[in-house]
This record gives sequence, C-alpha cells and structure tokens, in this order.
Amino acid sequence: MSSVSQTSAISFVPDFFVQMYGYREYLKQSVLRDLRNKYKRSFLGYIWTMLHPLAMMSVLAVVFSHIMRVPVKDYAVFLFAGLLPWNYFNSTALMSLHTIRANARLFSQIPVPKYIFILSLTFSNLANLLFALVPLLIISIVMGRGVPLTALAFPIVLIPLFLTVVGISLILATSNVFFDDTLHLAEVGLNMLYFMSPVLFHRELLPGWITQYLVLNPLFCQIEFVRNIFYDGVLPDPQVFAINLCGAAFVLFLGLFIFRKSEDKFLYFL
Amino acid sequence: MRLATLRNEPDSAQPSAAQPFAFKLSNVTVAYRSYQERPSSLKETVIRFMRTGKMKHYSTFDALNDVSLEINKGTVLGIIGSNGSGKSTLLKVMAQVLKPTQGRVVVNGSVSSLIELGVGFDPELNAVENIFLNGSLHKKSNADIKSRVDHILEFAELHDFARTPIKYFSSGMAARLGFAVAIDINPDILIVDEILAVGDERFQAKCSTVFQNFLKSGKTIIIVSHDMSMLEHTAREIVLLSRGKIVFRGDPHHAIGMYRDKSYETALQG
Repeated sequence: MSSVSQTSAISFVPDFFVQMYGYREYLKQSVLRDLRNKYKRSFLGYIWTMLHPLAMMSVLAVVFSHIMRVPVKDYAVFLFAGLLPWNYFNSTALMSLHTIRANARLFSQIPVPKYIFILSLTFSNLANLLFALVPLLIISIVMGRGVPLTALAFPIVLIPLFLTVVGISLILATSNVFFDDTLHLAEVGLNMLYFMSPVLFHRELLPGWITQYLVLNPLFCQIEFVRNIFYDGVLPDPQVFAINLCGAAFVLFLGLFIFRKSEDKFLYFL
Repeated sequence: MRLATLRNEPDSAQPSAAQPFAFKLSNVTVAYRSYQERPSSLKETVIRFMRTGKMKHYSTFDALNDVSLEINKGTVLGIIGSNGSGKSTLLKVMAQVLKPTQGRVVVNGSVSSLIELGVGFDPELNAVENIFLNGSLHKKSNADIKSRVDHILEFAELHDFARTPIKYFSSGMAARLGFAVAIDINPDILIVDEILAVGDERFQAKCSTVFQNFLKSGKTIIIVSHDMSMLEHTAREIVLLSRGKIVFRGDPHHAIGMYRDKSYETALQG
C-alpha cells in the first residue's frame, strides 16, 4: 500500500517560490489587512505606532551612551540601525508561534500550503520594517549626519535577512504545533541571540576570538550589513555577503524541510 | 479537467477524458493519536522520556480504517453513520485538507468544500473582506473576486451586512455566506457537511435549485448529513460508515434502513 507520494527531496525549495508567486494575491491582501489593523488607516495611527519603538530605543540610547558610556559616535543612529533588523527577526519569530493555530480554521477547509501563513506574517513585518525606516532617517538627519547613499542598497541587504527570518519562523511554528510550550524556549533562545548579535555594541568592543565565532550566527552579519549602509556609509564586504547569503539560504532550506515533513500532521494535533 | 492527488503534487498527469470517476480512495487509513496520552508540551515529553525512556508514548485509533471508495462523476453521494464513525474525517480527506496516514487519494476535478459551518472565515473581518480572503486562498485574482462579490452577497442575502464583521453574524448568516462562497467557485465537486439544514425554507429551496443545476452540468456532490429524509430524496447512493469502515454502499433506502435498525453493528462484531 503506497502512501501518497512525497514531493521529491529538493523540489520543495523552488516549489516554495512558485507557491509564493501563486498566492501573491492572498499575501497582498493579508499584508494590507495587517497594516490597516495596525495603523488604523490614519497617519496619526502610524505616528502612534512609531512612538513605542522610538521610546524604547531612546531609553537604550540614553542608558548606553550617557550612563554606561559606550564609546560609539552618534549612538542613537548606531543603535536604531541595529534594532531595525533585530526587531524584524524577533517579532516575526515570536508571532510565528501562533500562526498555524490561528489559521487552522482556514486550512482545515481550503487546501493551501500552510507556509503561506508564515510568509504572510514575514511580509507584514517586512512592511512594518520599511515603515520604521522613516524614523531612522529622520534621526540621522536631525543629528546632522545625513543619510549615506549606501542606504539605497537596503533592498539587497534585506534578502539574506528575509530568508533567515522565514526559515527560523517555519521551525518555531512547526515546533509550537507539537509542543505548546515552545514559547518559553524560544524566549530564552532569542534572548541569547540578542546578546550574541551586535545590536547594543560594536564588534570592535569584543575580543577577536569571540567575534570569530559570533559571525557564524547569520544574524550577526545581517545586522552589520544594515548598520554598514545606514551608519558607516559603506557597502557590505561582497565576500562576507555572499557567504551570509548561502547561510541564509541554508536556514530557509532547513526550515522548509522541517515544515514540509510535519505539515501533514498539523491537523492531527490542532 | 484536472487531476490532483493530494495538493502540491508535481506530477499531476492529465487523465484521459473518458475517466468517469470524481474520487478514487485506495486503502485510506487515518490514524489519530489518542489525545489524553499525547504530551502537548516539551516539558511533558522530556519528563516522560526520563521516566520511561520512550519518546513515543501514545496509542492510535483509526478514524478511517483501510477505506477504498470510487465515486463516479455526476452523482450525489450521501455519507451517514453515527457520531465518531469517521464521516468528517472522510470529508476532510476528500477535501484534500487532511492527508491520510496511509493510502492514496486521487481527485479528478476542482473541489470546493463546506466542512464545518462558517469555517474558512476570519471572524474579525467583514463579509466582503472574507470573500476576498477566501477567493485569494483559492488563487483568484483581485479583479476576479471583485466581479463576484455582489453576486455572492446577493445569493447569501447579506447585502445589508456586507460591512459587518462575521463574528456578529448569526450561525444562519455565516452558513449562507459559506454556501454562497463555496458554490461561487463553481467546482466540479462540492463537498457539504450538514449545510442543507441551515437557512429558512426559501433559502433551502434556493440551495436545492443550485444543486439541481450542478447535477445537470454533470458535477458531483457529496453530502454528510443526519437528515435521513433529505438524503433519501437527494442522494443517488449512500455510504454507511461505522468505526472507520464502510459497512454498506448503495441504495439510499436500504442504507437508511440499515442505519436505523443498527443491524450493521452486530454484523460488524460477528
């Protein structure tokens, strides 16, 4: 008796992008819906939403530049440029835990590839990341630094970050279907990752032997890429970028592999 | 005509036009894990592993047990059975949202399903937004959906509630919308679960007109219901399920008789 045949080992990666294109209408609709909910269809709603990260960031900026006296010039810009990619990663990873449960009603009636819901989340948060760019640019200008031309490389720098975020979210979402205490572990893991990433500090403040290991964390370099183009005004080193892109692709591959292996069992557990 | 085994099959070979079946299920088994024994958190899993040294510690029960069923095109098939006999599981397998543990499902044509009343909707969104959501999950284009919205609302008699979130709908209203959306896809096969019991007499009359038109154009309808008198009138043949097995398939009158006098239960034990 043959079980329904599995998609072959490698084809699920191209298949992922084909499906992403096939469901573009759904992705567009749900990103717009999330944005409408978040910003309440008004400019004031947008400002209001930006107040929270700005306030959080100001606290960190004051503490680290004036009390802990981190020797980094224009620390607020430095910090904000690092927080943007970090917050994107962090919030998507945490929100992905609920995605499968929240959409169970839909996929128990309509046959869809379930990672579409993870993708919709990653795109929504990507849109939020783009909105959060505006305050960063304003702060840069207000502090008299201006915006470097290299900022135009942002879309390219986002690619490895996006792939990593999708990959990790797929893994966490899968885990949460089977183990509903994944959140506790994820929180610890994310906290560890936060301090293993150069969000608060400059890599030069660390001993070289540590950095040598920390760069293995894909996020480490991705945060630096964003900081390179907005704060340092330089493009990422092409070789490092290429290696990082491969690493990010691997994270996506791993995420897809785990997700695809388990998604048929989701309905048995929900 | 389109052949789709469970979704995402890359090898969807086109069947010959003469193929008369709508569904072909071969040796389908769906094994659920007993819920009480399944650890739902990582904590419990680890503790259980430390205590017993076993990772897997659950028993399974077969919601469907080695079911083979071929359904011809253009028929109305009723599925009956007592609670827990596997009716809903069978529908989910046919709707391609639940992948069987074992066995093979071949579907010939597009499927639209109404498995549980009102599911497939997001309760926070209004009727129009839900129509778009549902359509986009069926890979329809924005323009395509837009052109159908009025028609769907009119059929569901919900024009006055187009902007009301579904969560404020009565169950009848939600069911009407669900029915309108499901038939608007104009599928080759319609799968319905108890849907005929909703709506007032006028709406039911409308539904049966739709069903008649459906059948005239050679489409297939599969109905699960406890409403025996309705099934006796509509269904051309009936499948009687008991404990995950098909105990009878054929003449509706005979099947309902068997179901009522419970003769199949003793037959099964013997």
